[in-house]
Amino acid sequence: MSIQETQAPVLVVRDLVRRFGDLTAVDGVSFAIARGETFGLLGPNGAGKTTTISMVAGLIPADAGTVTVGGEQMSPRSVAPKRLIGLVPQDLAIYPELTARENLTFFGRLQGIGGAALKSRVEEVLSLIGLGERAKEATKNFSGGMKRRLNIGIGLLHQPELLILDEPTVGVDPQSRNSILESVEALSGEGMAVLYTTHYMEEAERLCDRIAIIDSGTVQAEGTRDELIRLTGGVDHIRLEGSGDTAAAATLLRELPAVQAVDADRHSLVLTVRDAPTAVAGIVNGATNAGMSLADVQISRPDLESVFLHLTGKALRD
Amino acid sequence: MRQLLTMTASDLRQRVRDRSVLIFALVVPLALMYVFNLVFGGMTEIELEPVTVAVAAPAEDELAPVLEDVLTQVDGLDVTLQEVPADQVRSVVDAGEAGVGVVVPEGFGAAVMQGEAVTVQVIEGDGTGLEAGVVISVLDGVLAQLTAATVTATAAAGSGLPPEQLAEIAQASLASGPPLEVTEGQAADEQLGPAAGLVAGQTGLFLLFTVGFGVLGLVTEREQGTLARLHAMPMRPGLIIAAKGLVSFVLGVVATSVLLTVGGLLFGVSFGSPVAVAVLVVCVVAAATSLMFIIARVARTAEQAGIAQSIVALVLGIAGGAFFPITGTGALAQVLDLNPIAAFTRGLGITAGGGGVADLGVPVAIMLGFGVVMVLVSRLVPDRGAAL
Ligand SMILES: Nc1ncnc2c1ncn2[C@@H]1O[C@H](COP(=O)(O)OP(=O)(O)OP(=O)(O)O)[C@@H](O)[C@H]1O
Ligand SMILES: [Mg+2]
Repeated sequence: MSIQETQAPVLVVRDLVRRFGDLTAVDGVSFAIARGETFGLLGPNGAGKTTTISMVAGLIPADAGTVTVGGEQMSPRSVAPKRLIGLVPQDLAIYPELTARENLTFFGRLQGIGGAALKSRVEEVLSLIGLGERAKEATKNFSGGMKRRLNIGIGLLHQPELLILDEPTVGVDPQSRNSILESVEALSGEGMAVLYTTHYMEEAERLCDRIAIIDSGTVQAEGTRDELIRLTGGVDHIRLEGSGDTAAAATLLRELPAVQAVDADRHSLVLTVRDAPTAVAGIVNGATNAGMSLADVQISRPDLESVFLHLTGKALRD
Repeated sequence: MRQLLTMTASDLRQRVRDRSVLIFALVVPLALMYVFNLVFGGMTEIELEPVTVAVAAPAEDELAPVLEDVLTQVDGLDVTLQEVPADQVRSVVDAGEAGVGVVVPEGFGAAVMQGEAVTVQVIEGDGTGLEAGVVISVLDGVLAQLTAATVTATAAAGSGLPPEQLAEIAQASLASGPPLEVTEGQAADEQLGPAAGLVAGQTGLFLLFTVGFGVLGLVTEREQGTLARLHAMPMRPGLIIAAKGLVSFVLGVVATSVLLTVGGLLFGVSFGSPVAVAVLVVCVVAAATSLMFIIARVARTAEQAGIAQSIVALVLGIAGGAFFPITGTGALAQVLDLNPIAAFTRGLGITAGGGGVADLGVPVAIMLGFGVVMVLVSRLVPDRGAAL
């Protein structure tokens, strides 16, 4: 979203490096997030997403590079910039002996909220995460999905300027997952900056204004979804199946300006085109005119999965 | 400050809620004290029947009353004195009216004071084996004491004191002799009685479990992920450590105070000045808490921490006399002396003997010194669980 583009970014990450022994888990990562922007870190297991986030949130020190939140440098010892962030860790971080309400109240106090303000905010969050009914129960009795929702609720309780979510939908049923994604969209709409890590490309596509594809501790590419897809060459494929003179149809279709290449066999044609949705009508017409009777038409467009494959030579999910 | 209290209060609430601290810090040690007192305490407390002693003593002998007094003060033996003329002692004993007969000869006091040989005749009745034996050995001890007392008195006589004062010195010297001595409430002795020693030792042993519920919570929080979240809160990381230390300290002070008080009431022992005892409690809790910081750093998991803690608790607890008094000689004794639990028990011995805060210098120094060393060491050892 471009409205706030003139403002200083909420988060600036510059040349971040973190090693564990011989392994360089994060190797020179840089990016920035503006107010109201949702930024995705998309990468497979072990890519370095959690390690990056741990440095952004000031949980572990960086070996090199800087993190600046709201203009202030972040380190494990800093206090002021931590006020601006809300962290939803990948692993659950709630007290099993305490109730949902007590968990929220405890972390709210540590964030410096108190009194009536804290009370009403806790109730607000409880209903936002759908735990109003179970607020008085010890969280050790909660289902996995309920714990995840509470985990998220604690992160956004104090209405941070930067909300960091580390794979918040892992192990959540489709319904809860959808409600989590909706809440993130709503928060971003209210102006919160969001740093969202995932290895689900659908989530990144749906939520994120900009995405960094991360693998082996380095950012392979960064941009909007469309910018990233253009990296693959930006071409779509249309597959036509049917009977008739496929060779004649191929010759005719090759003449169309949108078509870059055609592959033909006895029953099908695969066309490489620039913009499949606009080109498809002309192509179907041309094939019919050339004497084909079509049984099926399929359009396939590149997604982030293909971008990842294109950049790293491997699949996003293992 | 507010954050420190928030964390401390929340921890205390959780610990109380999950009950384990109550069980480990109070119920188990009290139950153990009770059991051990039955087992070990029973062996030293043989039930003695009351006994009557028929005594014939020359009138106006200065030392004879001392002998009689001593007999009535024997711990655990109820002695009734029956004054009879010297020639009737044997018949009284033979008739079974007295269990033991004692005939103090004419001129007993004077002879003793001049260091001359003197014989006290003892007649033992039938069927009074154990009690008569105790009376006889007490008399034996007293007479041996008197010899020593006589030396004191004779030395004093050389300094030209009048005879009445010589008698007083001899009596005083005798009264403070060790064989029959009961020093409670009189002198700052470092030895606790068996029951008191048990209460103090068990209290010290379980303190090492109790303080774990605070500091070792760091390891649990690391495992349940909440430590990462705490580190993301707008506060100094040191505050998290401080809160855990405070939780240990509060739990330790409460548990130790309750155990000493309830244990004391149960077994009828008193540890002396409450202020001096409070000083000891604060010091030993600080020492025990400091030890937990090392375990919290070295242990990777809560399970490892629990095992390490049990080992440390048992070693220090046993060496500190939780089950039976332990003494060593030479280098071993010096090592044992540095154990804060042993220092605590010794300190309680001092307060039980009437000592005040001013008499606690050595044990307090040992406990606080131990604490300082542990905190320093804990900063030096690598934090094995620090990586997320
Ligand atoms: N504390 C640690 N000690 C040693 N190695 C670590 C540590 N934390 C992470 N690593 C390693 O660093 C690399 C990056 O891990 P990280 O957790 O950042 O990946 P991720 O992208 O979050 O993966 P996932 O999607 O599985 O959560 C991995 O190879 C991991 O094994
Ligand atoms: Mg991760």
